[in-house]
Amino acid sequence: MNTETTTGEYMLLFRGPHWDRGLTPDQLQQAMDKVMAWFEGRNEGGKIKSAKPLGTQGRIISGTNGRFVLDGPFAESKEAVGGYLVLHAANLNDAVEIARSMPTLSYGVSVEVRPILAECPIFQRHPDLVQRARERAVQAEQRWVAAAA
Amino acid sequence: MSTTSTAKSDYLLLFRGNVWDRGLSPAQLQKVVSDWMAWFERLKAEGKCVGGNPLEDEGKVISGKQRTVADGPFAESKEAIGGYFYLTVADEKEAIEIAKQCPGLEYGSVVEVRPVADECSIKQRAQEYSNHELAGATA
Repeated sequence: MNTETTTGEYMLLFRGPHWDRGLTPDQLQQAMDKVMAWFEGRNEGGKIKSAKPLGTQGRIISGTNGRFVLDGPFAESKEAVGGYLVLHAANLNDAVEIARSMPTLSYGVSVEVRPILAECPIFQRHPDLVQRARERAVQAEQRWVAAAA
Repeated sequence: MSTTSTAKSDYLLLFRGNVWDRGLSPAQLQKVVSDWMAWFERLKAEGKCVGGNPLEDEGKVISGKQRTVADGPFAESKEAIGGYFYLTVADEKEAIEIAKQCPGLEYGSVVEVRPVADECSIKQRAQEYSNHELAGATA
């Protein structure tokens, strides 16, 4: 792992958005109380940078110029991302321990923990291209700004 | 059509596939890299993208009541999420138009467009149940 490009931030992706299926209203209420308490607890000390739920209606774009626009992902899927959280942590192990305490794991949600990088790994594989690309990007933006003026 | 046209909606673009660059020629890579950077900078300058980050290829996946920790996602994957952009735009149509501009699409990258919800739908369901209970108690 290239520690020079890590940011100290970690993204938690919560997969399996329909975890409440099969719960009674009482069970759901209890679960939500635990989840809300979990968020408040994790946010002490400003550890949470952002956290959002994602709506179920999504689109998957693929192909040249994004010519294929399909509905997806399937909301019932255990792989579909239902929400995410970005937090500060000392290292991956700490982020993992925080993720393990998420109450919805007991209901079938899985949590993916990914370190957030300052620079894309694809760019990291081609560092010689990145410097030239930065220069071109600045030039491209200048052209765009001039055209928009 | 709304007359209050300044309302904005939040969308997340999830970039799927982290190996689409393998097999590209240096010239293709050069173009993708510079196009992607310019795309990101332009969206930020236009106020349409408030942020974005790449994610490290490898991480961990936690699942089950035992909270088992496994390596994941698999490093070479067409499904793995490689990064995201957070957009603030007029509507889904605009979010999709932006997604279609992703320079990686030509080489097999896939973009998932998801609306950011104001509130978790599960939390809303829990609230509805509890409202019904309260209504029942006072009836």
